[in-house]
Amino acid sequence: MTEGYLYTLLALLGFSALGVLHKLADTFKCRPASVNALLYGWSLVFVGITLTLRSGTLVAPGDVPWLAIPFGISASIAILAFQAGVRHGDIATSWLAINLSSGIPTVASILIYHEPVGWKRAIALCLIPVSMSLLWKDKRDAEAKRG
Amino acid sequence: MAEARAVSPTVATQGTETRNTDIWMRLMLVAFVANGIGPFGLKVLAMRGLADYQSQYLFYWYLGGLVFAVAALLIGRGGVNGREILLGAAMGGCSFAGQSFTAMALAKGLPGHIAFPLTTGGSLFLVALAGIALFKERIGPYGLCGVILGVASLVMLSIA
Repeated sequence: MTEGYLYTLLALLGFSALGVLHKLADTFKCRPASVNALLYGWSLVFVGITLTLRSGTLVAPGDVPWLAIPFGISASIAILAFQAGVRHGDIATSWLAINLSSGIPTVASILIYHEPVGWKRAIALCLIPVSMSLLWKDKRDAEAKRG
Repeated sequence: MAEARAVSPTVATQGTETRNTDIWMRLMLVAFVANGIGPFGLKVLAMRGLADYQSQYLFYWYLGGLVFAVAALLIGRGGVNGREILLGAAMGGCSFAGQSFTAMALAKGLPGHIAFPLTTGGSLFLVALAGIALFKERIGPYGLCGVILGVASLVMLSIA
């Protein structure tokens, strides 16, 4: 279990560093399309290496690639939009906005697979638009003050 | 155009950069929806009884993302420079490390209701802290409430 906590801590550091690097890329005036292409290029290399080391194979039922590719494209659109958007906002609020998207697969699972909602999920899902509205309101206020 | 931007209440300058709240909101909504759809494929994979092919799925998932990213790069007639290559490698490494360590933590028996809130909520907190400390960002009262409600929502989603 202690090992599990250590891995969780490392995962936390990995995800946090990713957020900071998005902002750093913007600070260094890196172009969103280039950053997106390189992020995906390198990630593909890392996954390929891991698959090779585990003696894995790319052979899978025909459904797998055709299922994976459109969802991968969707995620790539997200990173491109996010990196372009960071230029117009703070990383603290932008990072929250993209992380709040975990509500979407939950809603999709409820609608498509009829998963039970439960009161915790219902409250959590209701909080998402409220949080997004508050972030938007905060940004408008801040920029109105700056003139 | 420059004058129009200067008088717009939704546009402000920070240093040499021009910031636009409406553009930010539109791009964040695109990122929000597209990023939410992205991981749903894993659920579809599991529901079709193909969960044993997760590694292969992940490979094709990144491949699909790369194809789109390269197409966007070519359409925009952009190139890449050394700094972007280094940052791209670091970001790819961090993304991959985050996913892999979460999977390893779960494999070691740590329950998901502990691992997911810690990684999601903790990362939001650390990134917000870095924004304030390293990048001198300021969050107003509405923003602070938004962050607190957002973290609460994500933690609740992880344990629900």
